[in-house]
Amino acid sequence: MAVDSQDVLRRAGDASVLILTSLADGPKHGYALIQDIKAFAGLQLGPGTLYGALDRLERLGLVESLPTDERRHPYQITVAGAAALRAHLDSLERVSAVGRLRLRLGGI
Amino acid sequence: MPGLPPARVVGLALRCYPRRWRRRHGTEAAELAALLIADGVPARSVACSYLCAAARERLTPRPGHRLAAAAAALLIVAGSLGVPLGLLSASAPASAASAARGHSASRNPAASRNPAASRNPAASASAQPTCTPHPHPHLRPHPHSHSRSDTRDDHGQHC
Repeated sequence: MAVDSQDVLRRAGDASVLILTSLADGPKHGYALIQDIKAFAGLQLGPGTLYGALDRLERLGLVESLPTDERRHPYQITVAGAAALRAHLDSLERVSAVGRLRLRLGGI
Repeated sequence: MPGLPPARVVGLALRCYPRRWRRRHGTEAAELAALLIADGVPARSVACSYLCAAARERLTPRPGHRLAAAAAALLIVAGSLGVPLGLLSASAPASAASAARGHSASRNPAASRNPAASRNPAASASAQPTCTPHPHPHLRPHPHSHSRSDTRDDHGQHC
């Protein structure tokens, strides 16, 4: 199976994928991101991990922070971020399908 | 850290970040930590998360700095490989300087007897006027502001 060259999130880490998934339905600030990720993935992201991943995603142009007067910065997914998330989820789907098929064939 | 209040523990961890990061995320990160601690997340775990991320932030080169780091590495490699070349290129001024020193010493027996005096213009000036480079080039008088005799030493020789 060919590796998808469009999948820029392949090496970005799980936190980046979780953040992009959380931002896919609208902008959120740090605390809302942590709560949302805990709800849909059952994983509590550490605040240091969160800001590290947000900085990395912002440098890659996959998220952007919205201007605000408050201390909390909401982040939103960019068009490039949405495309990257879609490509990564497609890739995961292929891996998932192959994994399930092989488990069935192996009788495990 | 059991004796410290949670806010202080987190504050200490946040101070480990680079200043640039603190300017951008500092207040927001402190507020997020307070919310998480209020939710029941242990302050120690929040502080640990910030500490690890601060270490990563400091150890990971920034895109701009990556170029500088690569240039520095190249310079080090080039320096270690090109030492003889560097010596060759530096030999011209060095030989000129040594020739000038030898020339000066031949005309200044005191300096040749006392190499320290020749290295210390102030000491040699107090002992005997010699033709030594001016110790402070930025204080050197303008060449056109003096007569031609100023450029001669006591023996009437050009410096």
